[in-house]
Amino acid sequence: MKKKVDFSHLSSSPSPESAIITVAAGIGYALLALGPSLALFVTVISKKPFLILTVLSSTLLWLVSLIVLSGFWRPFLPLNSAASWPFAVLIITSVAFQEGLRLLFWKVYKRLEDMLDAFADRVLKPRLYPTDKMLIALAGGLGHGAAHAVFFCLSVLTPAFGPATFFTDQCPKLPFFLVSSIIALAFATIHTFSMVIAFNGYSDGNKVDQLFVPVVHLVAGMVNYFCLSS
Amino acid sequence: MESSILESIGVEIIGVMSPVSICMLLVVLIVYSLCPATDSAPPIRSAANLVYLEVPTDSTVQKLEGALLNALVFVIIIAVVTFLLVLLYYYNWTGFLKNYMRFSAFFVLGSMGGSIFLSIIQHFSVPVDSITCFVLLFNFTIVGVLSVFSSGIPIFLRQSYMVALGIFVAAWFTKLPEWTTWTLLVALAIYDLVAVLAPAGPLKLLVELSQSRDEELPALIYEARPTVLANSRHQGRSLELLFGAASQSGSVEMQPVSGNHIGTREGGEQNVHPEVIVSESTNPGNLEGLLRQGDEVERSPLVGGGLGGRSSSSSVGSEYSVVVGSRDAPEIVADEERSPLVESRRRGSGNESAERGMDDDGSESELASSGIKLGLGDFIFYSVLVGRAAMYDLMTVYACYLAIISGLGCTLILLSVCRQALPALPISIALGVVFYFLTRLLMEPFVVGTATNLLMF
Repeated sequence: MKKKVDFSHLSSSPSPESAIITVAAGIGYALLALGPSLALFVTVISKKPFLILTVLSSTLLWLVSLIVLSGFWRPFLPLNSAASWPFAVLIITSVAFQEGLRLLFWKVYKRLEDMLDAFADRVLKPRLYPTDKMLIALAGGLGHGAAHAVFFCLSVLTPAFGPATFFTDQCPKLPFFLVSSIIALAFATIHTFSMVIAFNGYSDGNKVDQLFVPVVHLVAGMVNYFCLSS
Repeated sequence: MESSILESIGVEIIGVMSPVSICMLLVVLIVYSLCPATDSAPPIRSAANLVYLEVPTDSTVQKLEGALLNALVFVIIIAVVTFLLVLLYYYNWTGFLKNYMRFSAFFVLGSMGGSIFLSIIQHFSVPVDSITCFVLLFNFTIVGVLSVFSSGIPIFLRQSYMVALGIFVAAWFTKLPEWTTWTLLVALAIYDLVAVLAPAGPLKLLVELSQSRDEELPALIYEARPTVLANSRHQGRSLELLFGAASQSGSVEMQPVSGNHIGTREGGEQNVHPEVIVSESTNPGNLEGLLRQGDEVERSPLVGGGLGGRSSSSSVGSEYSVVVGSRDAPEIVADEERSPLVESRRRGSGNESAERGMDDDGSESELASSGIKLGLGDFIFYSVLVGRAAMYDLMTVYACYLAIISGLGCTLILLSVCRQALPALPISIALGVVFYFLTRLLMEPFVVGTATNLLMF
């Protein structure tokens, strides 16, 4: 049921130019997970310095939330691999915590918006446009998505730069790293755009939007879990 | 549609964070690619290892004690050298100091940079012969030495050489053993805090001396010049306007651009320290001064232009040229905003950034300088922390990078509020060390456990 993290029995895929291929493979997996985020960053976010700062701070917030969660779960780790329900509890608590954090992020953002508007008045410039607000929300979501991809996918990707790859029992046709990158890509997209939807929902008071985001997050997490435990 | 404020706000911070990020990235790449064989090579004895050479087989207590002794000795050496620097500067041996900085830049670029290049060439089997290599290295070093203190070199080249110096020294520092590195970082952060803020601290003395003489600090400092945007008149001050609403506007660490001698031309009516500053500071006591400040900013270029007959004021330049001190302010705020400095006297690289260039020629004064300055030692020790984190795992690298960047951001914001010299090391190093240990102990089992089970959320 559960695979151990044991790279000692790697199924190697030998090839004559294996060295180049595997560095290329590693970079390919990394770009698969982070490609769209990188494209968004370069075209939209890098032009405005404030958005870069927003990305950095939302990444930091996500990291802090992850540290708090892991601090909470540390005494219970490593989880007993026989029973699978602890993982479900893990996912539910993590998703709940992160959604709560999104609410906090919204409150901080409201205060920031007031400060920015006051600043705009002082320097005699127009106040924040609606597109500006959505851009800030996009940058916040991108920070979360990029942090997710980096911590969950890229940090275990280091063996992929070596001369072999790794397959799992449940999915014998795709290498493990490919599956991990694809899931990271999906989650990065979810994180990026759910922030925009959530902020729009909070500012308009639209209940459907507000509920949509946590539900999607939870469903995505649980789908992963069900795939795992089947 | 008029451009929104989102275009220009935060430019100064990014101008400092990008070179710091580039430096850290390159140090991590160097550490990864030249992965040193940790146990096989005998450790080099250097200034940081004078007392105790760490060997992996020692017990924990022994390592801890040895590391603390090493750190103490290193900090004492740095403090002594800094006091020596202050003494030399006090007795006006500035020429000697500048030449010493040039020599140390030559030495670092040539020998440390050379050895790193050689390792890279060996590791990647780059086909280049030794004569070409020597010629290229020699050229590289000489241009670096020229760019350190001269004025004719393009700013981008000078910035790149500063970053290169930081990379080479940091890459060398990562060869230190682990316990020594961590205790050294913490000890240096504490030393920086004391040296800049305590009344008798050497760095504080140095800054005050250079301030009172209106001279440039004889030190290796990275300056981030903000880009000149024609529409944003208040661009330089955006940080203070945003955060320091209650306090007076002081420039964050904007160095006064250089003397635009309006005051001396018109006589005593203006203040005696004419400065063209990007973010000007006026009445310290004026709490609502920001709006008034806006008026003054608008008014003064007209005054200056009319009276002084400055041929230099281009339309772009005049937005930045503001005379210090409004007419109704009795006191003259000599503002150099010091910037958080960094220390590291080891190479004589200076830290702080308090610079006042007095320039007689008004024409290049507006665009000459302005912007945040960060000392080279900051670059070095941030990169050492990230490089040491890279030796453990990739996750710790990201966590430490984020911690250091956020610490730097906090320091810059604090600077815009406090308006005095601040040390750049303590907050970042403290956050970096805390995040490193938290990530290593808490987060890694959690995340690796879930990620390898493909359980993402």
